[in-house]
Amino acid sequence: MEKRATFSKMSVGVMFILPQVLLVFTFFYWPTGAALYWAFTLERPWGGGNEWVGFDNFRQVFADRAYWGSIFRSLIFAGASATLSMSIGLLLAIACDRSLKGYQMFRTVFVWPYAVVAPAAALAFRFIFAPEAGIFSMIVKAYPEFWNPAQNGYHAMTMIIICYSWKYAAYCFIFFLAALQAIPRSVIEAAALDGASVLRRVRDIQLPLITPTFFFMLVISITDSFQDSFGIVDVMTDGGPAKATELLVYKIYFDGFRGLDYSGAAAQSIVLMLIMMVLTFFQFRYIERRVHYS
Amino acid sequence: MIERTPLLNFLTYAVMVVGVFMVFLPLWLVFVGSTLTVREINIPELHLIPGTHFFENLQAAWARGHLGGRLFNSLIMSLGVATGKVVMSALTAFGLVYFRFPGRMLVFWLIFITLMLPLEVRIVPTYAVAANALWPFQSILDAAGVTDLIHALSGIQIALEWNLLNSYTGLILPLIATATGTFLYRQFFLTVPDELLEAARMDGAGPLRFLAEFLIPLSRANMAALFTIMFLYAWNQYLWPLLATPDRAGFGTTAVVELKLLAPTVSTNGGGTPDWNVAMAGCLIIMLPPLIFVAFMQRHFVRGLIATEK
Amino acid sequence: MKLSTLLAAGTILLSGFSAAYADAVKFEMWHGLTGDLGDAVGEVCKRFNESQKDYEIVCTSQGSYDNALQNAIAAYRAKKNPTIVQIFDAGTLDLLLSEAYVPARKLMEDNGYKINWDDYIPAISNYYADSKGVLNSFPFNSSTAMFYWNKDAFGKIGKTEAPKTWDEVFDSLKALKSAGYECPMAWNYDTWPIMEQSSAINNLPIATKGNGYQGLDAELIVNKTKFVDIIKSLKKAYDDGLVKIKTPDTGATIVQAFSNADCQVMLSSIADHGTVGKTQKPDMKWDVAMLPTLAGVERKNSLVGGASLWTLQGKTAEEYKGAAAFFNFIAKPESALFWSTRTGYIPVTKSGFDYMKAQGFYDKAPYKGRELAIASLNASPVTELTRGIRLGGFVQIRKEMRDALTDIFANKTSVEDGINSAVERSNAVLRKFEKTYAGKMLP
Repeated sequence: MEKRATFSKMSVGVMFILPQVLLVFTFFYWPTGAALYWAFTLERPWGGGNEWVGFDNFRQVFADRAYWGSIFRSLIFAGASATLSMSIGLLLAIACDRSLKGYQMFRTVFVWPYAVVAPAAALAFRFIFAPEAGIFSMIVKAYPEFWNPAQNGYHAMTMIIICYSWKYAAYCFIFFLAALQAIPRSVIEAAALDGASVLRRVRDIQLPLITPTFFFMLVISITDSFQDSFGIVDVMTDGGPAKATELLVYKIYFDGFRGLDYSGAAAQSIVLMLIMMVLTFFQFRYIERRVHYS
Repeated sequence: MIERTPLLNFLTYAVMVVGVFMVFLPLWLVFVGSTLTVREINIPELHLIPGTHFFENLQAAWARGHLGGRLFNSLIMSLGVATGKVVMSALTAFGLVYFRFPGRMLVFWLIFITLMLPLEVRIVPTYAVAANALWPFQSILDAAGVTDLIHALSGIQIALEWNLLNSYTGLILPLIATATGTFLYRQFFLTVPDELLEAARMDGAGPLRFLAEFLIPLSRANMAALFTIMFLYAWNQYLWPLLATPDRAGFGTTAVVELKLLAPTVSTNGGGTPDWNVAMAGCLIIMLPPLIFVAFMQRHFVRGLIATEK
Repeated sequence: MKLSTLLAAGTILLSGFSAAYADAVKFEMWHGLTGDLGDAVGEVCKRFNESQKDYEIVCTSQGSYDNALQNAIAAYRAKKNPTIVQIFDAGTLDLLLSEAYVPARKLMEDNGYKINWDDYIPAISNYYADSKGVLNSFPFNSSTAMFYWNKDAFGKIGKTEAPKTWDEVFDSLKALKSAGYECPMAWNYDTWPIMEQSSAINNLPIATKGNGYQGLDAELIVNKTKFVDIIKSLKKAYDDGLVKIKTPDTGATIVQAFSNADCQVMLSSIADHGTVGKTQKPDMKWDVAMLPTLAGVERKNSLVGGASLWTLQGKTAEEYKGAAAFFNFIAKPESALFWSTRTGYIPVTKSGFDYMKAQGFYDKAPYKGRELAIASLNASPVTELTRGIRLGGFVQIRKEMRDALTDIFANKTSVEDGINSAVERSNAVLRKFEKTYAGKMLP
């Protein structure tokens, strides 16, 4: 997307972006570069050694069925959690945006889940979803197969998606609400005067006007779902049962920092980055076309 | 907009009430957990009715976690991250959207890629940078032969060092170095009508004045949203503060790190008392400042008044 | 001439507390224990600081074993490491193959301490020693796996003693089931008791080359031992409803299920002895016993679990003096008594154990029964297969096996296929480790 009207002084523009560029270089690119170098060596965690092995680590990663499995699961997780949290967030934002009596209280409460530390939320959800004690316990007594996240991988995946979306819906809610509120009141008033009903205004005016935020949320929720899922998986399932919830970042962390296979983890990280870049590129290339800016 | 839509209003309330229920159920369980004894909380049942040990668990959590000073650290860090992020992202996005210069798209993507590799997987080298933030620059000078040159000319050996461990700067800077905010502002700035810039120009406004007097007021709701989210994000950070604050007796650390240290060790051969009740009480204490903060911030979510002002 | 640009001063807004021990040499220890155990480590450090005036140890919890290891590595690479770090059992080998540590015996000798190295319980010291039996790190929080059984429930089926063999175990489980117990045994796929400890006490190899002690080219061979039979009978017991899975995602851990008298038997660390005592159903009678053996097998010693304390390179002579003083302090029998009373961990020296016995520690509840852990570790002289395990990437190997067991119990694969594929994947991990440390010899 390009703006037609811009300032002409190039040097001024560079000044605006310089601080961020320096920061990103120092705290992202430099350390990332160091970590990625390991992907081409056999790094010993406590230093020493590190022989150059070219693409060996990548070959190993690609030959590993478990790695492809974790990519596939991460994509499922990303798709499901982005859909769930964005739709809940958007629905609640639209409800709050109607500014009915007492909506301020709701508005505050809906942001709260994001304020809860991941381990505490995960622990609470562990109680809720416990097959023998939680909300499903009555059904489980009669049909043990109905819900058993300890053995059924699909159930375990559902559980972490719900727990993650619970937190993340709050994140979506707040940005959607901000976007809805940034729509000039006059635009909506004009439509109301034309006789457009509330639902019609949502569909024809509000939703199209917040597509830039919608696009932002889509890209961010997918990238975040790759990253923030770590804490929840760690507390709730440890990647189990039998790798069914082993998402990519969890696997990288596990192999790298628990298993001390720095080089394998670095190779996996590079592939993770490439996947995310491709995903994001497609989103910018194909979805952003449908976004209405000004 | 006073319209009579009773059915729709009812539905709206229904949606909101269901939402509140979904928010509260896990929170209620955390609260109930904090009112039980060790024995009670370890009974594998869904506890829905609070026990009677709330205050002693709160006290235990407060004392064991040294939460007083830690909450202060968390507050400074979170405000620092939120402010830094809001300011820096606004500047960057402004530079990217309203100026033309070569490599502009490249810079956008370079910043954007930071979203794609989480801190978890690059934490070891990030620590090295925090231990000496000037290490990258030193390396560049070394590689370029500048240090050798200076050494040869003047006999001075340049050794740049800036240790960020155990400092607020060290806690804050690495968490600001991502693209979330920049992307959000870019999306917003792109929706601002071009006529606004033309009007501002007619008024003789330069870039800074345009940003301060036109764009910032327009993006108030978005700024509030970003500020809130970044505050909560920073408040709940765990891995980075844990690593960046080794000096617990002096500088201390953040409240969430301390909370994690309250929670029982989960490992193959653990063996400590699983006092989740105290951990849950600690969790409540630590959640409180963000909850208050959210309640306070929400007044800034006001409908934009663009049309009536301009 | 050196020109250092120091910008740090201004960035620290809140300066530290004034040091309480103004003239003492300060040094750091990082550990991975949290909660009540983390507090216990803090108390040990405090006792050391109060016992003398020359040194001050600053003990910092890093949140978990993993974080302690990872943070120590990050700090070591940036030359900001602590003097002492606690490393869990599976992290031993990487450190052993590095140049990052000061061997325990060298540290003590350099600083003039005479330690009776033979005082350490052999099953414990061998795990942390080099091939010549010289200790490289100090065993700290140590444990071994035990058989926990509910005496009330066993009373109902007319038993007053714990089963000694697996056959007896399964008979008892059947009887418990018939007596109306829903969950005779709780199990959680944990490989530590069932693969590692069980193999040791039955003198079964886990890997070739003396479980890896004789070289990095060792291969996992549990798919060719009676370990497979144990899993088969366990699976059958599970199919018959004698064993129930208890993991965090079922809502209760095995320890919770046992403490609450929901399940009558579990295999778990002796360190959980205290936890069960504190969280048990009131009036429930229970005890621990040594792990069951296979029928007709002479019991060998079990393996030590837990973590040890390593001294890292790059510190001053003064700091090493302090570290040596600290190790000397925690090796004292009084320290052993304090540590074992405060936590569920066991003493690591014979003199510590004797001292605790003499003090009457093991005579009454809640500590009665814990002496069996020492008995289990001392069940036989240490053999080639019961010294310990020296396998690279052992965290991944444990996980591969755990995943296989999960699949087996969910009927996704047969016992043989599951274990074979876990062994195959584990051997790939071992080969990569071997390549990473090419040219390195086990010390």
